[in-house]
Amino acid sequence: MRRKLVPAIVVAAAAAAVAVLVYGLTQQGTSRALDEALAAGRRPAAPQTTRLMPALDRVGRAQASLAHWRGKVVVLNFWASWCSTCTAESALIEHAERQLAASGDGTVVGIDYKDLSSDAQQFIGAHSLSYPNLRDIDGSFAAAYGTDALPETFVLNRLLEVIAISRGEITQQSWLTHWIDAAARA
Amino acid sequence: MRRAAAVAAALALALAAAPAAAVTQRTSLVAIEQQVMCVTCGIPLQEADSVAAQQEKAYIQRLVSDGDSASEIRARLVAQYGVAVLALPPDRGFNVAFYLVPIAAVLLALAIVALLLPRWRRNRSASSAAGDASLSASDSARLDADLARFDD
Repeated sequence: MRRKLVPAIVVAAAAAAVAVLVYGLTQQGTSRALDEALAAGRRPAAPQTTRLMPALDRVGRAQASLAHWRGKVVVLNFWASWCSTCTAESALIEHAERQLAASGDGTVVGIDYKDLSSDAQQFIGAHSLSYPNLRDIDGSFAAAYGTDALPETFVLNRLLEVIAISRGEITQQSWLTHWIDAAARA
Repeated sequence: MRRAAAVAAALALALAAAPAAAVTQRTSLVAIEQQVMCVTCGIPLQEADSVAAQQEKAYIQRLVSDGDSASEIRARLVAQYGVAVLALPPDRGFNVAFYLVPIAAVLLALAIVALLLPRWRRNRSASSAAGDASLSASDSARLDADLARFDD
């Protein structure tokens, strides 16, 4: 009995150590599940829509989740005050917000990623951003979208399904206009 | 009169020691950098030089200048960046594995050695005994003869 028990314990302990290692590695990887689903012609549901995050401004509450904007087109833009390309992109994103506000179709929702709240507030003021912004303090909300570099933008339809992804800086207003129209029709 | 002078001297010493104690509690950017991570690059902050790392360093320097202690600065960093900013994660939830797995690995290694060492010794003595028993009759006779020659 003892002869079988000891190897069993050793094997179980080794398996547990491997499981911990695999878990750690999978948590560090970047998911591209949303991109793959889009490429396959599907409209994947936006991840973590009910997750509450601290609001920076213009939300009217201390915390909010994406579900707050269900029924509207949402342009989800990940940014940080330390990201220079986010600065370059901010005018296009703000223009998209004004377009959405004018039509009443939806809104841009900014997600400030791994940033200082004071620096983020300064960024919002300096670039006259008129849309709501939430703070993804530890970057785990961004990780659910496969975001590990900034800026990145996701266009969501009224059902909060992802219909377009831009991994990197948006340089053409036409990209935003095209996908906002598509999301409003979807 | 002498007692009053002693009390006054003790009071003066205590007043002098208070700022000294406050000074010793203060920390530095270098000390905190060793305890936290660059949140965007995943390496210790002291080795990082990205724009986000510069932001973290400037924030820490500001808190150090404000006179915050090391634990206060760590708490503020966690409030801004989450627990991932700490080089050593807090011993809660899944993070407990970070502390337990190395201990369990050492205990497991010791258990394996404790189990295998007696078996290895037994096998060794058994093989040496088997080695003695494997002498053929002629070899044994020759050994006896050699030993007897040495006795002479």
